[in-house]
Amino acid sequence: MTLSRSMRTCLHSGRLALLAILVSSGIVLQILACALYNNWWPMLTVIMYLLLPMPLMFFLGSNSPSMMSNEGDGWVNFTKFLTGASVVGSIAIPSILKHAGVIGWGALTMELSSFVVFGIAILWLIQMNGEDEYSSVF
Amino acid sequence: MENLALLWGIIGPGVSGAVFGAGWWFWVDAVVCSAVQVSFLHYLPGIFASLAALMFNAVNKDEIGYDYYSPYGDDSEWRVKLWLFVAYVVSFVCLAGSVGLLVQDALTDKGPSVWTGVAGVLQCVLVLISGLIYWTCHSED
Repeated sequence: MTLSRSMRTCLHSGRLALLAILVSSGIVLQILACALYNNWWPMLTVIMYLLLPMPLMFFLGSNSPSMMSNEGDGWVNFTKFLTGASVVGSIAIPSILKHAGVIGWGALTMELSSFVVFGIAILWLIQMNGEDEYSSVF
Repeated sequence: MENLALLWGIIGPGVSGAVFGAGWWFWVDAVVCSAVQVSFLHYLPGIFASLAALMFNAVNKDEIGYDYYSPYGDDSEWRVKLWLFVAYVVSFVCLAGSVGLLVQDALTDKGPSVWTGVAGVLQCVLVLISGLIYWTCHSED
């Protein structure tokens, strides 16, 4: 089924709006996890969230063979390494805080769900970018 | 099989970063949740394991080949091998040290708890595995 051009742009901006809603709900969940319990320790996870999209920011805009190719450029590999470490870190920081008894179960679940929401948003962003170039994701 | 190799080249460094992070975060958890002050001696295996992982990833894989012509002369192969050897020795010493610290922590009651020792061993193992994974990635091309 081929859509008309205006329908396609409408759908595209609809997807972008949904993506923005996802990201903002992730941020809201993160802040709620601190504000509802009046315990601002979980904000440490924000450091990890800043590290997480770094490879996307560096390489998604440029025309060089991006993360989705097998290109062995040293810096691409290093940013992927940082992404992996910050993914684990954003799961680890709330778990350590819970293990040490600094936050409770509610804050932990909110933190983890905020992470899941961000993850979905980033994966969807990558997929949308892959579609734009009319090639497969991998 | 070809597809698997391609996939590994794409997500490999990310997996390596995740394992490295997991190793260090287990250690952070043990230090934070420990009832006693963890002495600096317990930090050493983890630090040296990270150093060893860095060392054996700094090697350019082409240099170990048979027909490599280096600007330092024809017999410079031994430098690379010496570097790798030192990296391996450091990593094995770290492993042995962390296991020894675990045994020591399990035996006495006054020092750090068993979880500190276990986390130390986990940290060492995971950091070294992460170094290995990263090494397999940049030799895919």
